[in-house]
Amino acid sequence: MDRSYLAKRLLHALIIAWGVMTASFFLMRIGPHSPADKYLATLGAGHNVSQVTAAIESRYGVDRPLYEQYFNYINSLLHGDWGWSFSTSMPVSDLIKIHWAYSFQLIFLSSILAIILGISLGIFTAARKNTKADHIATFFSFAGISIPNFWLGMMLILIFSVKLGWFKTYYDTGLPMFSLSNLYALILPVITLATGMVAGYGRFVRSSMLENMNKDFVRTARAKGLPESVVLRKHVFRNALLPVVTIIMLDMSGIIFGGAYITEFIFGIPGLGWMSLKAVFSDDYSVVMAVTLIGAFVTLFFNLVADIAYTYLDPRIRYE
Amino acid sequence: MTSEIILSIENLKTYFFTKKGIVRAVDNISFDIRKGEILCIVGESGSGKTVTALSILRLVESPGKIIEGKIILDEDNLLELSPHKMQDVRGNKIAMVFQDPHSALNPIFTIGDQVSEAISAHKSCNKEDASSQATQLLELVGIPLAKERYHDYPHQFSGGMKQRVVIAMALACHPRVLIADEPATALDLTVQAQILDLFLELRARFEMSIIYITHDLGVVSEIADSIVVMYAGRIMEKGGSRDVLGNPVHPYTKGLMGCLPSEKGIIIPIPGTIPGLINPPAGCIFHPRCVNALDICRMERPPMTKITDEHYVSCFLGGVNG
Amino acid sequence: MKLAAYYLERLKGNKTAIIGLAFIIFLVLTALIGPFFTVSPTQVNFSEKNLPPIGFSSEQSEYSAKVGGLVMTNMHGTWKHPLGTDGMGRDLLSQLISGARVSLLVGLLATGLAIVIGAIIGVSSAYFGGIADSILMRFTDIMITFPFLLLLILIVYMFGSSLALIILSIGLTGWTGTARLVRSETLSLRTRDFVIASKALGASDLRIIFYHLLPNTISSIIVLATLSIPGAILAEAALSFIGLGDPQVASWGNILNAGQNDLQAAWWIAVEPGIMLFFTVISFNFLGEGLRDAFDPKGDYN
Repeated sequence: MDRSYLAKRLLHALIIAWGVMTASFFLMRIGPHSPADKYLATLGAGHNVSQVTAAIESRYGVDRPLYEQYFNYINSLLHGDWGWSFSTSMPVSDLIKIHWAYSFQLIFLSSILAIILGISLGIFTAARKNTKADHIATFFSFAGISIPNFWLGMMLILIFSVKLGWFKTYYDTGLPMFSLSNLYALILPVITLATGMVAGYGRFVRSSMLENMNKDFVRTARAKGLPESVVLRKHVFRNALLPVVTIIMLDMSGIIFGGAYITEFIFGIPGLGWMSLKAVFSDDYSVVMAVTLIGAFVTLFFNLVADIAYTYLDPRIRYE
Repeated sequence: MTSEIILSIENLKTYFFTKKGIVRAVDNISFDIRKGEILCIVGESGSGKTVTALSILRLVESPGKIIEGKIILDEDNLLELSPHKMQDVRGNKIAMVFQDPHSALNPIFTIGDQVSEAISAHKSCNKEDASSQATQLLELVGIPLAKERYHDYPHQFSGGMKQRVVIAMALACHPRVLIADEPATALDLTVQAQILDLFLELRARFEMSIIYITHDLGVVSEIADSIVVMYAGRIMEKGGSRDVLGNPVHPYTKGLMGCLPSEKGIIIPIPGTIPGLINPPAGCIFHPRCVNALDICRMERPPMTKITDEHYVSCFLGGVNG
Repeated sequence: MKLAAYYLERLKGNKTAIIGLAFIIFLVLTALIGPFFTVSPTQVNFSEKNLPPIGFSSEQSEYSAKVGGLVMTNMHGTWKHPLGTDGMGRDLLSQLISGARVSLLVGLLATGLAIVIGAIIGVSSAYFGGIADSILMRFTDIMITFPFLLLLILIVYMFGSSLALIILSIGLTGWTGTARLVRSETLSLRTRDFVIASKALGASDLRIIFYHLLPNTISSIIVLATLSIPGAILAEAALSFIGLGDPQVASWGNILNAGQNDLQAAWWIAVEPGIMLFFTVISFNFLGEGLRDAFDPKGDYN
C-alpha cells in the first residue's frame, strides 16, 4: 500500500508539473512579448526590420504551428534550456546557476532560525496557556504575522544602519558566501525574512499542541506517572509535529519565495528574486518567466516532500 | 470481607468553575476500598463517576478543581503530596484504565513502547528489561503473538485488543489499586465479557483492589464485592454487593434496578432526568424524581445513615420503606 | 438576522476583534471623508519638501540665494502638514488617506473577486464530482503551485500595472484557498438529508447550489474573506514597493518605495505608510480570528 501511495503522489506531481509548464506556455503566448520585439529593441535603427523579425521568429520557432511550438517549448524546458537573457547576453540557465545559491543561503538560514524559534515559541506558549506570558507572546505573534516584511526590512535598515550605524556592510559577491563579512551582512535580511515565519510557526505549533493536549492518550500518559516534561515532549509534541511539518514544507515555497524575493530586493542580495526584478526592469522576459517557473517547481517539490514526510511520520498512513 | 482498607476517600469535593457557574461534579463523597475487593461505582452518565476516578489520581483538568477532602493511601493524603511524589503514585500504586481504548493509546508510538514506558517510568531498569517485561505483560493480558506484535501500532489492533494493551500498561508496576472507568462500554458485547473475565482473573492473581466504574447493573451483579451508587455528584447508597443489590434502600437504587429487565421482561424507567449541577435542587438532590419525596427531602440534605455495618444510605426514608 | 445578532453578541466578548473592527471603521471613514479636508496628495511644492511631522525637527539642506549654495537648516513640523511632506513637498497626510482608499479598494474588490471565483469553482467541483471535480481540482493545484507574489509580478510585468489590472490579477490568482474550502464543506453537505430531499423533489442543480449549498458555507467564507483581505492589500503594497505599482495613484506601497531612498534625510516617509499598513493588516487579522471564534460552535464551552 505504501509504494502505491508514493506512486500516486509522484504521478500527481508530474501532472501538476506538466500543467505548470503548459500554463507558462500559454501565458507567454497571450502576453504581448514576442522574442523578436525584444531583440529588435536592442538592435536599433538601420536594419531591415521585417527580415530580421522573420529570421528571429524562425530561429525561435514562433512561425511554426502552435502545437509544434508547444512541444518544442516543453522539450527545451525539460532539457534545461530556459531561454536566452537579452539583458545579460547569456543563457537563462547559466544565469540561474550563478544566482540560485544566494537565495538558497538566505532562505536556508532564515528557515533554520524560524523553525527553531517558532517551535520553541509554540511549545513555550502552549505549556503556559492563558498566562500573561502567553498573552504577550500571542500579541507579538499577531504583530509578527501582520508586519509587512518589506517595511520591517526598511525599518531595520533605518534603525540599525542609518541611525545606529551598526550594519554598514552590504553583501559582497567578491567574498566567499560564508565569510564573516557576508554572514554579518545577512543578519538584517534573515531577521526580515524570519520574523513572519517565527510568528506564524509559533502560533501554529501552539494551537497544534493545545489540540493534542486534550487528547485522551495524554491523560493516559499522565496516569502512567510520566513526568509532565516527558508527557509534553513525547506524547503531545510528537503528535503536534505532524501537521507542523506539513505546514512548514508548504510554507517553504509560497511565502518564503515571495518574502525572499522582496528581502533580496531591499538588501541587495544577488539571489534569484533580485535577478528576476532586475530582469523586470530591463524587460528581460525569459528570466522573469524562468524564476516564476522555478518558484512553482520548488513548491511542487516541497509539497511532494511534505506528503512523503507525512507518511513516514504517521504510522497510520504508513501501514494503511 | 473485613480485610484491611487500602484506599479511603473522605469528603471529596471536586468542582468545575465554568463561565456559567460552579458545577459540583463531585460533592462531598466518602467511601473506602479494601484489599483485593472489586468496588463498583454505579450511576447514570453525568453522575460524577469519572470525575471521582480522575480526582483520586489528581488528573482533574482546568476548569475543574479538587476543593476539599482527603484521599488516603498508606496513611498518606494524596491531595497533600508534592506533584513529584504524586507522579510516583500514578501508574505505580494506583493505575487507571480508560473508557475508550481507541483514543487512550497514542497513535504514533508502538504498543510495546507505550507499555514499556509505563514500566520504566517507575522502575530503574534498562531498555531490554523493560521491553521483556512489557512483552510478558502483553502475554498476560491475552495479546496473541505478543512478541511479534510488540512493534505494531495501535491502529493495527481491534478495540478489545487495544483495551488489553491499556490494561497491560496499567498493570505495569503491579498497582495496589486499579481504577477501570467503563472499560468495556466502547466494545462489542462479546468482547465486553472477555474484558470482565480478564479483570476477575487479574484480581485473583495479583490481589489488587479494583474500582470498577459502570452504569451497567448487570456487570455490577457479576463482579462487585461492594457497591457505591452515585447520583448527580453525591453518593446515594453504598455497601456490600449482597446488601445493596439484595436489599436496596434508596429509591434511586431501586429505580436503577427497576431499569433492569425483570423476569417478566418489563423495564420500569426512573421518571425525569439528572438535574443540572450548577443550580442543583435544594435538599436531597434526587427529590424531583423521587416518587416517595417528603417535605423534608426538599429542604435538607439527608445524612448518610447506617443500616448495617456494611450498608449506608443517604435518604430520610432509610429503612422506613426498605 | 437573529443569527447575525447572536454572532455579533459573541464577537463583542473578543477585545482584539473589536479593536480591529474599530480601526477598520475608522479607516473606511477616513478614506471616504478625508479627501474633503486635506490638500491634494499630488500637489508638488519644493519649498516645503521633506518637512518632518509635527513635534519633530530635522536638518535639511536648502538652497540659499544669500550664500549662493546649500545651507543646513533645522526644519520643524507645521500644522499645515501635520504628518510632514515628501521629497517633492507633497503632503503626506493626504497621501496616506489616498493610500487608504487604494488599499481598501484593492482589499475589498480583489478579495471579493477571489471569493466569487473560488466559491463557484469549489461548489461546482464538489456538486458535480467525477471528471469535472478532477479537472477543476487539478487546475486549482496548478494555480496553487505558482508562488502568489511571483505570479503577480509576472502578470503585472506582462500586462502592465494599472490599479484595475492589479486588482484583477490579485483576484484571478487568489481564489485557490476559497475553492478548496468551499469544495470540502460542500462535499460534507452534499450527502445531507435536506439536499437529497430537495433533489428528490426535482430541484434544479443551480437551485440546490444557491439555496442549499452556498448559504451553508457562508460563515467559513466570511472568515476566509476577512483573513484574505490583508493578503490582497499586502500584495498590492509589495508590488508598488518594488516599483511595479500603478504610478498614477498614491498608494502606501508607492510612498514606501519613494521613502526607501530618503531614509537618511526623511525617515518619516518610510515609517508612516508602513504603520498604516501594519495596523490595517493586524486589524483584519484580529477581526478574522474573532469571527472564526464567534462562528465556532465549540466556542460555547468555558
